Amino acid sequence: MGRGRVRAEPLELILYQSDAGTARGQASVVCFPESIDDLSFAIRAANRHCVSFVARGSGTGLAGGATPVANSLVIVMTRMNRILEVDPVGRVAWVEPGVLNLDLTRSVRHLGLHYAPDPSSQQACTIGGNVGTNAGGPHCLSAGVTSAHVLAADVVLGNGDIVRLGGLEPDAIGYDLRGCFVGSEGTMGIAGSIAVRLTPDPPETRTLLADFTSVDAAAETVSGIIAEGIVPAALEMMDAPITRLVEEFVGAGYPLDAEAVLLIEVTGLIGGVDAEVDAIRRVALERGARQVKVAITEQDRMLLWKGRKSAFGAIAKVAPDYYLHDIVVPRTRLVEVLKRVYEIADEQNLLVMNVFHAGDGNLHPLFVFDGSEPGIWERVYAAGDGIIQACLDAGGVLSGEHGIGLEKRDYMSLAYSAEDLDAQARLRDAFDPDGFANPEKILPTGSRCGEMKRAPEGTWV
Amino acid sequence: MTILGLNPDELAGCVGCGLCLPHCPTYRVTGLESASPRGRINAMRAVEGGAPISSEFTAILEACIQCRGCETACPSSVQYGHMAETAMVAIATRRPITRRVFDRILYRHVLPKHYVLLLGTWALVVAQRLHIVPKRFGVPPISTSSLRRSLSSDAFPTVFLYTGCVMDAWQRDVHRAAMKVMRAMGASVGLPGHGGSCCGALHVHAGRRSDAQRLAVAVVASMPGEIPVVVDSAGCGAALKDYGRLLGTPEAIAFSARVRDFTEWVVETGLPKMLSSNKTVVVQDPCHLRHVQHAETSVRTALSASYRLLETDDDALCCGAGGIYSITHPEIARQVRDRKVAAIRAAAGSDEVTVASANPGCAMFLSAAGLDVRHPAELLAAVIEEDNE
Ligand SMILES: Cc1cc2nc3c(=O)[nH]c(=O)nc-3n(C[C@H](O)[C@H](O)[C@H](O)COP(=O)(O)OP(=O)(O)OC[C@H]3O[C@@H](n4cnc5c(N)ncnc54)[C@H](O)[C@@H]3O)c2cc1C
Ligand code: SF4
Ligand code: SF4
Repeated sequence: MGRGRVRAEPLELILYQSDAGTARGQASVVCFPESIDDLSFAIRAANRHCVSFVARGSGTGLAGGATPVANSLVIVMTRMNRILEVDPVGRVAWVEPGVLNLDLTRSVRHLGLHYAPDPSSQQACTIGGNVGTNAGGPHCLSAGVTSAHVLAADVVLGNGDIVRLGGLEPDAIGYDLRGCFVGSEGTMGIAGSIAVRLTPDPPETRTLLADFTSVDAAAETVSGIIAEGIVPAALEMMDAPITRLVEEFVGAGYPLDAEAVLLIEVTGLIGGVDAEVDAIRRVALERGARQVKVAITEQDRMLLWKGRKSAFGAIAKVAPDYYLHDIVVPRTRLVEVLKRVYEIADEQNLLVMNVFHAGDGNLHPLFVFDGSEPGIWERVYAAGDGIIQACLDAGGVLSGEHGIGLEKRDYMSLAYSAEDLDAQARLRDAFDPDGFANPEKILPTGSRCGEMKRAPEGTWV
Repeated sequence: MTILGLNPDELAGCVGCGLCLPHCPTYRVTGLESASPRGRINAMRAVEGGAPISSEFTAILEACIQCRGCETACPSSVQYGHMAETAMVAIATRRPITRRVFDRILYRHVLPKHYVLLLGTWALVVAQRLHIVPKRFGVPPISTSSLRRSLSSDAFPTVFLYTGCVMDAWQRDVHRAAMKVMRAMGASVGLPGHGGSCCGALHVHAGRRSDAQRLAVAVVASMPGEIPVVVDSAGCGAALKDYGRLLGTPEAIAFSARVRDFTEWVVETGLPKMLSSNKTVVVQDPCHLRHVQHAETSVRTALSASYRLLETDDDALCCGAGGIYSITHPEIARQVRDRKVAAIRAAAGSDEVTVASANPGCAMFLSAAGLDVRHPAELLAAVIEEDNE
């Protein structure tokens, strides 16, 4: 592949042993393709040497998806970062997978368009990584997650073959293989170019900040707003500890003494948004909000969002390690599951913070701790098990947006029957029969017999 | 004491979220984790954990421009700059002997000795006339008439203007412009006394902390009293403002509190009367003004009274100059600059553009790419002109 594009210096390999999550592995070689042909070449070379491979975007994933296991070749997509084609009329862009999410939006801003899925990590994460994890974001409440915005992808399969999945035509015939691929975390191959849908900017946007003296009241307001028939563009909740942390970083005017805040955004035509703002204000005040503020200037709005989007990154001010969960529960059970989360944290004597996409019931309990404290990881894992159980008991699912990766792999058999897992394994095999593409991710080891096992020794920090 | 002498809490402060990556110029152009803040922090962690201080580790840290864009971007307030400077101390002491001799001459006998630097500058002027200075070094044409006339200090100064080493040799006209504005605003301008000619910023970045401390003591002594110390080089200003931490003495802390960037002082003192100009100016934020001094608003306040200002849409990413970085890492520096130039041109659209840069290093490096770059002091001096003469 040429000099400088394949690297295996000892220190460098260490830097690729994990993503932003906690699972750690070991890379054998790292390479940096610059075109889809390079990518295919690298995968074929790995095949020849019988080495598995794993795709990596920016490594902001939280589930260990980009963590190399089994001495994998790490294929880093950062140098495939060109925007290949923008069709402002058809509102489609073809991009290489290493393009950063926010860069894409920036590059089409002058056309009055944007790329809708906006994970909190959007300034740093890649479109390829977003496709890998089927990423969501605050504004996915009304716009839908990544899968709703990916039309097609040219994918290099586990054997190096290049295939096009999906297409720009709305009614393609046959199976929706594109749909299978989005969210497959690199286990079905690696996207070498991606066609995404661009969304027109809304004519009007209002951002509201509601503050509450109890978490329950905030959670009830969430259900209240939806029950009113309003689907805000975004509906986010932060509890007291995290609100104080982000305020310290951004100084956006978040109240320091609130028990919980809701950040709500509505978009549409002028008359419509103002009516919705009034309705939301009423619902929130009825349920005990102390105050509902509307951001006046664009700068105020940007600061509020900057705060929300910095939340996970800011926690090191409290303790050096975090374990971030990602579960989805029916909105009606939000209050109850949230209570249970705080109870579990108490039981394990852990500090928990909550910042999440309240509108779609996507909870992100965030445990903050010092990993060097003896016995702490056992408590963190125990709390994690408890949270997953509580989520499944409430009829929820294992992951909202961060993916399964290594982190949640062993919980899969709690959520699915042996038959279900077997069907998934066979689907995966159809894309990658030899098992070269990101092995040991998503599906439990030995999934075909449905047994449950922890990740291999040494994978966890 | 750990191998690099890093504070374990500071090191643990990075949670590895990656939000800093797009704000790092070297990551932006290479796509390498090893050229990113997170990667550099993890490399330091690996060394503290027992990995050797190898040539690989040295190269990883040396490829950092020390722009500190990652600090502004980091929601956990990781003190990257401080850690990198500390790690550089360990690296500097382990260099091969030939390199140590070269560094010693540069850092001890050229930069701090003003006459040596001026002599070298004259030699450079001759070399430039003979066309034997490689273009990639980005050295601007030096004006001999400017070099011949020295600056003169006012009696009973009400404010000091810090003149620095390379800047005084290569960009003395900027000091002239600053003095003109300051005097027009009613100030009497003093210049530093003997020994205060080099701020030590380059020394800190190269891991020569004790050299830097010696220079800092001399700079503090060269501008006694309580009057403000105005600095028209963002890099030197950041260094002077950090003397409190570098020396840790009450005098140094008090001194640092007196330091102001030129435009900070202008805005605090009250803007002078200015004519309006029809020039369009794109503001370039020198990293050490924005990420270290956090003084980027005062440049805008000072200039917007007369000029139409435009902003780049690149999160104020570094321009690649970075002290002597553009000479030690010309290839990366050029790629970083290409991004910057593209962002500036995009901001200006079809307009004829002037770039405002408050740091001589950035100004020289960007001029070498063909842009018209002016110091804010020069831009201000141009619009108060008719009023006062
Ligand atoms: C502070 C912070 C906030 C976050 N907020 C959100 C949020 O709001 N919503 C959300 O959904 N996530 C969020 N995340 C998680 C993370 O940013 C997303 O999962 C993101 O999609 C990962 O992108 P990446 O480029 O970093 O990919 P990586 O972490 O490098 O990889 C992620 C997965 O995708 C695979 N992959 C990478 N490139 C390709 C490709 N070209 N083709 C196929 N597979 C590929 C990898 O193998 C891996 O399995 C957050 C993370 C952080 C640190
Ligand atoms: S330095 Fe800050 S922003 Fe960068 S990875 Fe570490 S914690 Fe995140
Ligand atoms: S100081 Fe600048 S170049 Fe160095 S790691 Fe931080 S952002 Fe990158």
